[in-house]
Amino acid sequence: MNRKSFSILSILLMASMLLTACGGGNQPTSTEESGAGEQKVLRVWIQWGDNPQQIQELFDKYGALAGVKVEVTAPIEDDKVLPALTGSNPPDVLVLSGGDAAKSFYKEGLVDELSGAIEDGNIDMEDMFEAPLSQCRQGDLIVCLPWGTDAYALFWNKDLFEAAGLDPEKPPATMEELVEMADQLTITNPDGSIKQFGFIPDFDWSHTDLYVRNFGGFWYSDDGSALTANSQPMIDALTWQQQFYTKYGVDNIQAFRSGFGEYGSPDAPFYAGKVAMMVEGEWQVGPNFIPKLKPELNYGVTAFPPPADHPERAGTIVNQGTVVVIPSGAVDKEASANLLAWMMSPEIVAEEFCFNANLPTSKKAAEDPCFVELGDKFQVFVDLMASPNAYAMITTPISFELNDALAGAEEAILYTGADPKETLDAIQTEFEPKFKELMGQ
Amino acid sequence: MENLPERNLVGFKPPPKTVWTKRTKADFRTGMLFLSPWLIGFFAFTLYPMLISLYYSFTIYHSKRSPEWVWFQNYTDLMTDDKFWISLNNTLYMVAIAVPLGLFASFICALLLNLKVRGQAFYRVVYFLPSIVPTVAGTILFLWLLNPQVGLVNTVLEKIGIDGPNWMADPNWSKPALILLGMWGMGGTIIIYLSGLQDVPQSLIEAAELDGANWFQRLWHITIPMVSPITLFNLITGMIGMFQYFAQAYVVGGGDSLGRPLNSTLFYSVYLYQNAFLFLKMGYASAMAWILFIIILLLTLLLLKVSDRFTHYSG
Repeated sequence: MNRKSFSILSILLMASMLLTACGGGNQPTSTEESGAGEQKVLRVWIQWGDNPQQIQELFDKYGALAGVKVEVTAPIEDDKVLPALTGSNPPDVLVLSGGDAAKSFYKEGLVDELSGAIEDGNIDMEDMFEAPLSQCRQGDLIVCLPWGTDAYALFWNKDLFEAAGLDPEKPPATMEELVEMADQLTITNPDGSIKQFGFIPDFDWSHTDLYVRNFGGFWYSDDGSALTANSQPMIDALTWQQQFYTKYGVDNIQAFRSGFGEYGSPDAPFYAGKVAMMVEGEWQVGPNFIPKLKPELNYGVTAFPPPADHPERAGTIVNQGTVVVIPSGAVDKEASANLLAWMMSPEIVAEEFCFNANLPTSKKAAEDPCFVELGDKFQVFVDLMASPNAYAMITTPISFELNDALAGAEEAILYTGADPKETLDAIQTEFEPKFKELMGQ
Repeated sequence: MENLPERNLVGFKPPPKTVWTKRTKADFRTGMLFLSPWLIGFFAFTLYPMLISLYYSFTIYHSKRSPEWVWFQNYTDLMTDDKFWISLNNTLYMVAIAVPLGLFASFICALLLNLKVRGQAFYRVVYFLPSIVPTVAGTILFLWLLNPQVGLVNTVLEKIGIDGPNWMADPNWSKPALILLGMWGMGGTIIIYLSGLQDVPQSLIEAAELDGANWFQRLWHITIPMVSPITLFNLITGMIGMFQYFAQAYVVGGGDSLGRPLNSTLFYSVYLYQNAFLFLKMGYASAMAWILFIIILLLTLLLLKVSDRFTHYSG
């Protein structure tokens, strides 16, 4: 080979490599139909996924039904979602772990409004519980659909109640009673350190959403059109939580918490009898948690109690959970919509969420006997879904940033004794102009 | 030129002018062809992203919609953003404390590992091993070691009568805990120092010994100056690495609790990541990236300038 031929060949080789590397933009991407006889591939990304194999098997059923191959990636890491949505090769259907991102993504044009897909797929919107659906509503628009959902209630350890001289069958009926009982259930060592704690308000994570609803408000107005981060219910909710830390000392509680076993292990503090009451989700009573990890645990579940002066707020829950979106860059929108319709059918919702012991978003699915088989404790959550005080997390395009700031405020109030009103006023002052600008007010 | 002594010009030949013959042109083309993978990579994946991020830093740009040109608004907004200053302070804390401390400890370890003792190779392996432990695994391991109730560190402290802190749950101790983690994995710096120590000419040490210099004097007047270029290298790379501190803080924060407790682990790169990928504020994050680039550039230039006074190059 002479020098000239070598150079030409090398250039051609380089060019072909480059084209291969940079190509793809104009080809069928996630929905591949690379030739006659080859199967179409649909890609589904799911942000959560405790049982990837089970969920792939579920979607294989759709594959067999529609004559396509469905590739499920679960769980997908958070930081892969945005690059995929902005790039040329997003998944055909994306399941987000919460509704807070959906509105931000819609505002940026990253996901589609779903009215068309709902109509084409004959998705029965009347069949959906309103609370989880409300997190997908943006005015008259629907930017996501709730697939499964979670609700939180109060768990109490009956043995610890008995040991503290309390009636094991009577959980607290009011928030005030809960504080009193928590005191009775707290045991300290001779050196002042905590041996057993009655109730940690932000364990395992923040539950301010539930408390603030019990105090009669939220950090947005009910229609999501105003920011109310420093409203009285918010101040009350954080002051109520702060008292637990004030009474027993932040360092003392933090040191006690640091010795807790891993979440989802037999040593988790509620299972191990270190914490007498906790706010937790419905999955705890399902086959993957308490019945498997601590079957002998003697416990009860009830709705979180309201304040004594507002008994009408009994049965308050705040739904949050997985939502399905269709990326605006999805190649075959019809295929995405068909898959979405199949996912939202009551049978599939029942199958998926029975398996994982999560709450269904479909009323018909909730009647499936498989949920009854999950036991009476699970039924407490199913009943709460139909409660007149069932709410969903209110989400707006500013949710991520605001929630992060509120989490910081909660930390400052609970762990440093910061004044709730002053701290929340600062959040309101910082975010109100941004919120108004984003909402076009 | 006329002031130069004549002898310096003896034998001096100016470089020949490049004559672009057919052959040299062909050689140039072939050379460029072989260079092209790197050049393409540089232009496509380094220079272009840098320039486009500079453009974005002057825009409101979230992700998919067209950027909106806003001149210096992102930069002026950053100046009034409390979290920007908190993240910068946290990062400067790490640069000011963790980097010098790491250099000092690495140098001491390298000195020890340079001693001709039995089992020298074994000790070197032991000191180097932590640096090949993946960052995530090492961080999780440290979270357990520093657990206030069941962790090894506080258990040992308790044995000697010290009430150990709450480490990662206490904003006053979270950064020192991360510094400890960093020092555990300093094997790479130790190896570089060790190679520098082995390059210190034995003749100088022996001459100093003959002149009656003790161990400390030999260390101060010979070893430290002779490894000063290594110190400068480790200082600059350590400083740049610390300005970009991210992975450990991300693991500690568990993804959705970044910066906890009380923003004490909110480092510059962590806040930049939050803005870009969680709050979808790409323009704002780009402005942060450029401010970081300028800070690192200025500090590196300053260090290089100041280093003339304490860096000694042999030969």
